[in-house]
Amino acid sequence: MMGTSFSRLKGLPSLPGGGLLGPAATVLYLLFIGLPVLALLIRAAQQESFLTGLVGGMALTALRLSLITSGISMIIIVLVGTPFAYLLARNTSWMLRIVDSLIELPIVLPPVVAGVAMLMAFGRQGVLGPFLEALGISLPFTTGAVVFAQIFVAAPFYIRSAKLGFQSVARDYEDISQTLGISPWKTFWRLTLPLAAPSVLTGFALAWARALSEFGATIMFAGNLMGKTQTMPLAIMTAMESSLDTALALSVLLLAGSVTILIGLGLATRPKWQNRL
Amino acid sequence: MPVAKGWVKCRVGGFSLEVDWHIEEGQVLVLFGPSGAGKTTTLRAIAGLVRPEEGKVELGGRVVYDSADGISVPVHGRQVGYLTQQYHLFPHLNVSENIAYGLSQRRKPDARSEVERLVRMLRLDGLEDRRTWELSGGQQQRVALARALATNPQILLLDEPFASLDAELRRVLRRELRAMLVESPIPVMLVTHDREEALALGDSVQVIDDGRIVDQGEPLRILGQPGWGRVARLAGVENLLPMTVESRNAQDGTMVCGGGGMTLEVPLDATPSGQSDATDQMENILVGLRSSDIILAIEEPKGTSARNRLAGTVASVEPRTPGYEVTLDCGIPLKAQVTGAAMSELGIKPGQNLWAVFKASSCFLVQEETPPSRDTGAIS
Repeated sequence: MMGTSFSRLKGLPSLPGGGLLGPAATVLYLLFIGLPVLALLIRAAQQESFLTGLVGGMALTALRLSLITSGISMIIIVLVGTPFAYLLARNTSWMLRIVDSLIELPIVLPPVVAGVAMLMAFGRQGVLGPFLEALGISLPFTTGAVVFAQIFVAAPFYIRSAKLGFQSVARDYEDISQTLGISPWKTFWRLTLPLAAPSVLTGFALAWARALSEFGATIMFAGNLMGKTQTMPLAIMTAMESSLDTALALSVLLLAGSVTILIGLGLATRPKWQNRL
Repeated sequence: MPVAKGWVKCRVGGFSLEVDWHIEEGQVLVLFGPSGAGKTTTLRAIAGLVRPEEGKVELGGRVVYDSADGISVPVHGRQVGYLTQQYHLFPHLNVSENIAYGLSQRRKPDARSEVERLVRMLRLDGLEDRRTWELSGGQQQRVALARALATNPQILLLDEPFASLDAELRRVLRRELRAMLVESPIPVMLVTHDREEALALGDSVQVIDDGRIVDQGEPLRILGQPGWGRVARLAGVENLLPMTVESRNAQDGTMVCGGGGMTLEVPLDATPSGQSDATDQMENILVGLRSSDIILAIEEPKGTSARNRLAGTVASVEPRTPGYEVTLDCGIPLKAQVTGAAMSELGIKPGQNLWAVFKASSCFLVQEETPPSRDTGAIS
């Protein structure tokens, strides 16, 4: 058994992806990804009350909440993440290198664990709980908690990509810009940011997509309260138990959003001068 | 009235740099030395991109850095034109946008006419809308120069401006740059490790090695017949012959010395750089001789005024632009430069017996020990 399959493999070209193996793997993968996506669309189209599901109170409320919370999250991520990413790209001290390697922790951490961790920090019994309570703030199970959860899981995507973008702009460009009478601050806006834009935009899109799809940390830390903390992914899960229409409508909406982001990425991140830095 | 002068002491890691400079209006000072000698760091310190430990930098009569007074004008306030080896043209901007980059403070019509002036001056007509990577190496250099000149710099800092070009283009562009610099009143500091470049472009030269100025003066004197061993090696002096003084002839201003089975007549104890101090007592000397100063002959030349005639056997022939380098074994290997035409006319090949002929005055004495360290601080 082993012997026969091995000898058949030996007949293949030594190059991985060569011969029939490559095309076969490609078809298999495309079917695996494409079939569920297609099934979702077909099933949604068959649903008689698809539109009703879409404009139903639950779906619209979740959509609005998702857009608002992810919007706020992205503003905070960009405002804090951009200078941070720039510092990481330019500074090579050992302390920042350690920070750099820890940045991606939220990407590999299971979101549910992130949610538990945030409860331990900001929850009533959390480390900062008594302090927040004294200020009259209770974070868990509020819209603010949704934003916290989204920032926690999404920010690394933006920071990592923006950092790589800034690193691709050689320091010499900024030096030259300054000798031409342009201050460091203006140099960033006129030179570094435009040149790093493809990576920065990629990071933005990835982070936004991640924030929109955030589920595990949100349900742990913010709960599932309609109109308050029930974002689209949470609404889909809830709807599956009562109304398939709503679940399908929301799913198609999220799918459309994802495809839009993908296309936008492709258009925005291929400037003429790519690979000329 | 000096237009650019100053001195700096810098420390980067374990490397320490200590230099001073003084460039008159319209003059080109060449910093000559091996890579890692501190040439680029000097330029960057003047531009403000490296912070010196101590120093004073004066550009166009304005003090932009003075450690004693705590003055340090930021880079963007110094008005320096800085050209890097790779030019670093901004890839997201076209040619005219690159040139106009530093003119953002000016009114739009002013900036436009300034760009037009520079485009004409540097013969970039018709290239205004091009992308920077569509330009040839020479065009890129001119755009970088135009971009720097647009901001009315008080000094031009050129860091190996020809390093990324091939030899032919390098010669053409050197002529162009020379012509342009002659017209301009801006003092120029140019970094190179190419002797030809230093001779072609420099009004004066400073030889920098290991963070110190080891020699300075007129390029032909400093790099043609260098008086110090280190400078001679940096300047690529092909023959450095260890000799012993046998007799001095004060009347002729020559002396006879020998070594490795050959005898030479060389100038008397006065190195071209004027450091004649200790050689009187020195019996062991180093004689420098450029390969291009040697004439090769098939038979012993008779009736010539050249004082040195040595017989030898051709050890090797190697191409060395322009022409060939013939190594002649005269007891000590002697390197001579000949043209391709001379090669074929004499039929030079290894094993052949030839005569090497050169004047006593082509020989120069080279001091091996390190030159005394100069006190840069005193100059300010």
